[in-house]
Amino acid sequence: MIRQGTTHTIQVTVNGQVYNRVVEARQLLVHFLRDTLDLTGTHIGCDTGSCGACSVIFNGQLVKSCMLLAPQADGAEIETVEGLARSGELDPLQQSFSAHHGLQCGYCTPGMLMTATYLLRQNPTPTEEEIRQGIKGNICRCTGYVNIVRSISAVAEAHRATAVGTTEGRDQQ
Amino acid sequence: MLLKSVEYVRPDTVPEALDLLRSNVGAAPLAGGQSLTNVLKHRVASVDLLVDISALAELRSITRTAEGVIEIGSCVTYDEIDHSREVRAGHDIVARVAAHIEDQQIRNRGTIGGNCCLSDPTNNLPPLLVALGATMNVRSAGGSRQVAAEDFFKGYFLTALEPGELLTSVTIPPLLSGVGAGYVSVSVAADSKAIVRAAARVEVKGVIGEARVVLARVASVPVRHRGMEDALRGAPPTAESVRAAAATIGNELEPIADSHGSSQYRREMARVVAQRAVLEAIAEGGGK
Amino acid sequence: MSVTSSSQAATRERVRSWTGQSITRKEDGRLVQGQGSFIDDMGMHGQGYAWFVRSPHAHARIVSIDPASALAMEGVYAVLTGAEAREMCQVPFFQIAPGDGGRIEEWPLAVDTVRYQGDAVAVVLADSRDTARDAAELVEVEYDPLPVVVDGVKAAEPDAPVLHEKAGTNVAWHGTYDFGDIDWALKNADHVVKIDRLHFHRFSSTPLECNGAVVDWDRGTGVVEVKSNLQMPMFAAMVMGPTLGVPINKFSFSSRDIGGAFGNKISFYPQIAALALLSKKAGRPAKWTEYRTEHMLTSTHGNERTFLDIEVPVMADGTILGVKARAYDDVGAYLHYEPLGAVIWSQVVPGCYKFKNVQVDFTTTVTNKCPVSPNRGYSRMQHLWMLERIVDIVAHELGFDPVELRKANYVQPEDYPYQTPNGCVYDSGNLPLSLDMALELADVEVWRRRKLELGTGTGKRIGIGIGSTLDSGTNNFGQARIVNPDLPFSGNGEAAFAKLDLYGEVNINLGTTPQGQSHETTAAQVAADILNMSPDQVTVTTGFDQAHNSFVGFSGTYASQFAVTGLGAVMGAVEKLRDEILEVASFALQAPIDELELGDGACAVRGEPARAIPFIGIANLVYTNNAVLPIELASRVTLNCRHVYVPPFQVPDTEHKTGNLTLTYSSQIHVCVVEVDEETGVVEILAYSAVDDCGKRINPQVVEGQVHGAAGLGIAAALYESFEYDEDGQLQEPSFYEYHAGTARDIPGIRSGSIESPSPFTPNGAKGMGEGGGAPLHAVCSAIQDVLGKNDAIVADSHNPWERVHLLLHSGERGDPRGVRVVSRGTEGAWV
Repeated sequence: MIRQGTTHTIQVTVNGQVYNRVVEARQLLVHFLRDTLDLTGTHIGCDTGSCGACSVIFNGQLVKSCMLLAPQADGAEIETVEGLARSGELDPLQQSFSAHHGLQCGYCTPGMLMTATYLLRQNPTPTEEEIRQGIKGNICRCTGYVNIVRSISAVAEAHRATAVGTTEGRDQQ
Repeated sequence: MLLKSVEYVRPDTVPEALDLLRSNVGAAPLAGGQSLTNVLKHRVASVDLLVDISALAELRSITRTAEGVIEIGSCVTYDEIDHSREVRAGHDIVARVAAHIEDQQIRNRGTIGGNCCLSDPTNNLPPLLVALGATMNVRSAGGSRQVAAEDFFKGYFLTALEPGELLTSVTIPPLLSGVGAGYVSVSVAADSKAIVRAAARVEVKGVIGEARVVLARVASVPVRHRGMEDALRGAPPTAESVRAAAATIGNELEPIADSHGSSQYRREMARVVAQRAVLEAIAEGGGK
Repeated sequence: MSVTSSSQAATRERVRSWTGQSITRKEDGRLVQGQGSFIDDMGMHGQGYAWFVRSPHAHARIVSIDPASALAMEGVYAVLTGAEAREMCQVPFFQIAPGDGGRIEEWPLAVDTVRYQGDAVAVVLADSRDTARDAAELVEVEYDPLPVVVDGVKAAEPDAPVLHEKAGTNVAWHGTYDFGDIDWALKNADHVVKIDRLHFHRFSSTPLECNGAVVDWDRGTGVVEVKSNLQMPMFAAMVMGPTLGVPINKFSFSSRDIGGAFGNKISFYPQIAALALLSKKAGRPAKWTEYRTEHMLTSTHGNERTFLDIEVPVMADGTILGVKARAYDDVGAYLHYEPLGAVIWSQVVPGCYKFKNVQVDFTTTVTNKCPVSPNRGYSRMQHLWMLERIVDIVAHELGFDPVELRKANYVQPEDYPYQTPNGCVYDSGNLPLSLDMALELADVEVWRRRKLELGTGTGKRIGIGIGSTLDSGTNNFGQARIVNPDLPFSGNGEAAFAKLDLYGEVNINLGTTPQGQSHETTAAQVAADILNMSPDQVTVTTGFDQAHNSFVGFSGTYASQFAVTGLGAVMGAVEKLRDEILEVASFALQAPIDELELGDGACAVRGEPARAIPFIGIANLVYTNNAVLPIELASRVTLNCRHVYVPPFQVPDTEHKTGNLTLTYSSQIHVCVVEVDEETGVVEILAYSAVDDCGKRINPQVVEGQVHGAAGLGIAAALYESFEYDEDGQLQEPSFYEYHAGTARDIPGIRSGSIESPSPFTPNGAKGMGEGGGAPLHAVCSAIQDVLGKNDAIVADSHNPWERVHLLLHSGERGDPRGVRVVSRGTEGAWV
């Protein structure tokens, strides 16, 4: 049981780093990430949970961080855009978004990348339709989604090629 | 985005939650929060204490009996319903509807209980549960009771739940041989807010037997259309007879008008979606 | 002219030309890692958080405002009311309109009267976001509601409630544009197609990042520092300066990454002015982050325009002679940038067509709705939509093939440069070829067959639509004089600053405020070509920043012009820098300039690579070793080179409303194939193509991205997005919950192609592009028109949600008024 109150001490792991903070119960998770932890990569684009700019991965689940309260994150493991690149190396989705011009102003991009990350974990080789269904909760006003879909498809295609390659390798043995 | 000051508590058990709900005026259960959080952001409802029930194991299970009755805990998410073998086994339509609620993020958090208890007329599951003849299992610190889905939804943002009561699960009877279900919406856009929607459960044994036709967004709550149900009973399961039955939907409906559709359009579309939902149900039932 | 397909890899014209290549963007590295600096990511020391108190009424007198309870809250620094703000100001905001419209008064906060839902009456500053909102709710405001007008046509009627007493009318501007001889055309045409009403709806591009600013009024220096995501800060400075009594050199604007703008971030100067006064009052910086509902209610909407009594003279062979119409532009409660919309449309008077006779009686009205300001395709798309509608309606009514009718009436490739009836000059293009490519990309032949196979009785219909549009770029601000001859505006320009720094670094500073248009990348491509180095070796700083000293009066990012003005300035500045580098190198290497060549950050004697000096050596000589140089050279060369690109414009003829109003005209031809459900009116897009011609493309992938984006926004506006007010002036779509912004499920895959017709008028053959002229609105309406029968009403609204389509589909059966009639020669008086 977490005690009843307007403020709570919570422990949250974000991108592998443990944070202990005192939060107001009314603070939205997205404000906790941005204002309390200064992880400003996660953005806010609406006030109705409609735009997906604040999407993060919360205990393995893709969520909109404006739709959770900070105390709900007590004990949670959270992944944000800041955790995608490892040792300065962009991850395949980040590289693909850049290579295929999958971003213009870049404001929806962090949320879009987290959604794409989750989508490819659930289904490494989605079809275009599955990609569109998967990113439906993330609004982009710049790209018409065309190059975002291309960017994700390219990574899926690479997964497909790897899977085929692996199978072929086994067949040969 | 900025909420009024509020207290938060996360109980470990359902009885603890029920105690908290009973003993705090202004307490509200917080399940997936995919609607409640918006309500709080816009400060349109006053809540003093949020009782977070989202992680209570007791509310998070899906069970299926040998007879094919399915019970879904109130804090089971749409995504879990979509991916549940138990649900897919005999209630594919429930999974299919859950799979098209808004978007992945909302499906990962939003729960069947929240979808029902908010009683927002645009919500996806209430008309389906009414059509399927579901039962809402309700508990309070004082005991438990069951409410037919048909009687559960009372008005805009209003249900049969009394203060201190909690919806713990939803029981859905089996869709037996010859019984199929259908669900059709006219929506603003793909997987978005419905302008009008129909859910149907239809029994076909040569001719149409029992039929339940539920319309949503034509009133504050999902409504069964008895006229169409009566017209279907005994009729051959053909497009013509279903069209004729749908024609009974008329001026008795006085749907609300909003920027997405006038009252007249909603009434006309109610006929279209009812007809299509019944035909889908017939096709599905006939396939068994 | 070269014809390419976007799917082909960029070809290199010469071995080392970066221009024309789809290189990856310099911006991406930070943006994909969440390291962008958007407005809410920034702050100032000691800042408070601002929250505006806004009116729930669309029109009301402010009886009283009592901030006492708010001020009593712990953590509240200050509350500023409208009346107090007015006391702190010198004059109301500058107005562009002449006459009655010029007497419309606006102050940073509403004084005495609120005129639209969300009009700000006070603003609170507190120590946290939460406290600011909590306190704002405690500000007690008493209102006395007034009658409301929400219809832009009715607002002009004599009995309409008047919003601004000092103006005495809701007509903010009125004028008649009369080119050619429309009376002659109407008299001599074989047919006159008469359309009762066409309505272009209210929507906006709703950038995903809302507005925001951190403003500090420094007590010591009087400097007003504004960190914001304004996309045209110089315009805000110009308007705010006299009001706040702040000279331009006491404003310090800066911006970093901007999360989309589309014109919508030009005009939130009232909010910034209020924050400046709040900061002055509280003695600390004020930070404001607009929230989405606030944005939808109060930030800006696009212009809503109603065309009445449209008459189109047409010859028997399909030659369209012109158009006559009355236009009412509903610009909301205050004039922000307006009534410039009353002239901007005239950049594209005949659209893509050759007709010569145009008369438009244009009225700008104020209503109790959110003020409008530029929105992607500003003012031209409304007019272009009307023209595309009439072409389709003419085809539909007189039995012409819409493709052939367009081709016959288009400005032809051999006509360029083509002078329009009002003196604008279309620089280059090939519209018939673009249309053919777009039809092919959308597989129109396949869909035509499918349409025939589908036949009737299936409950589905297939429609094919075309949107032909122009994307005019690089404004001549002289057109402002056409709405107000007293305005001292004309021309345009942009500045760039090129610098070689101490350790040999090449820096470009721009005065632009990009929001996704990739200026860092394209500027680096252009600079790299001139200096013969890699774009990776060029650092580009964007954002209007007085510290960079690289701006002019027109600086900003708007009106499809960067490729011309911005890159024109970059080319000029970098060429100056190159010449200085060569001069210093010539001295250092003791070789004539014409024997030197640049490469990879060094200057060498051609053919003698050993005789070279790296850029660091050049910089050393100029910055820290200048006694080595001859005094004449040392005192002249700075390696800090500024260039202002000025397009060749003249002041327009305000009496005849003619002149060259825009330098370049990109074209976009879109084709849309839809399937319509007869029972529901639901429209599904089956295929969509777009062919763009923006002259020389600096970075084809960037251009293609702009085409996709413009298409996506337009499709969503045509089918899903609309701002509608009820009769009490309450916005029905105040958030993304009601306002359905198109998602990846709604916007189809877009097949894009391009042709390159270089502009003869620009330094690099490029044309501005990006706004896209609203082509999807034209194409979607055209496709819906295509499924309608002879007896059905015409598509008369730019927004077609399912119910409206359903009404159209069944309008013939019901015998609804069609909204169109044809008068033909010889049947004078008889409606055909």
